[in-house]
Amino acid sequence: MAFIADKDQETIRQHFAAHLAGDVEIVLFTERESPIIVPSIQPCETCKDTEALLAEVAALSDRLKLTVHELREARDEAASYGVERVPVFVLKGAARGQVRFFGIPSGYEFSALIADIVDASNGTTELSEATRSFLGGLDQEINIKVFTTPT
Amino acid sequence: MAVESPHVTADVIEAMEFPDLARRYQVRGVPKIVINDTIEFVGAQPESEFLKYLKEAVGQNGDAS
Repeated sequence: MAFIADKDQETIRQHFAAHLAGDVEIVLFTERESPIIVPSIQPCETCKDTEALLAEVAALSDRLKLTVHELREARDEAASYGVERVPVFVLKGAARGQVRFFGIPSGYEFSALIADIVDASNGTTELSEATRSFLGGLDQEINIKVFTTPT
Repeated sequence: MAVESPHVTADVIEAMEFPDLARRYQVRGVPKIVINDTIEFVGAQPESEFLKYLKEAVGQNGDAS
């Protein structure tokens, strides 16, 4: 079953066609289902759905590419993005900083994802002059965490 | 904001899927925003307010601009 309805796929496809200026790679760290059940280890409940959803999004534009890493097998790669959990994905494009999503981007987060893909593709935002000026002059690290829920 | 500066990392975290993080950052309402693990607020804010929090996080006086 598709996560994104046909009608929405078409809307997003047109939106991407009009707004994506550069390529964006979505780098997902996940954990595929293990054939061995280890009672002490909690299986990843949303990994499979996150990968399927991102694959659907990536299929909506030639500018998008989804790369999937098994976290256990890509520790170095994961460490380079500061990723130690699953499912977590990073948007790589023209963004100067780093945009990471922890968990499946459903509900309101889905629109945030689409908007962030567009910004990462263009390397520009619709932020005010004051904010951009502050960010341009920044010489220390800032981490912003935004906690959301599915609804 | 992470798009505009190489010094910014922006994390969108689904609180239900990462209860340990939600607990650590005492998330009781969403959206909850935490900047550099020190400055925090709940609810969407106008961009100008958000900017004040960012300036506070890096030790710049919010009134200076």
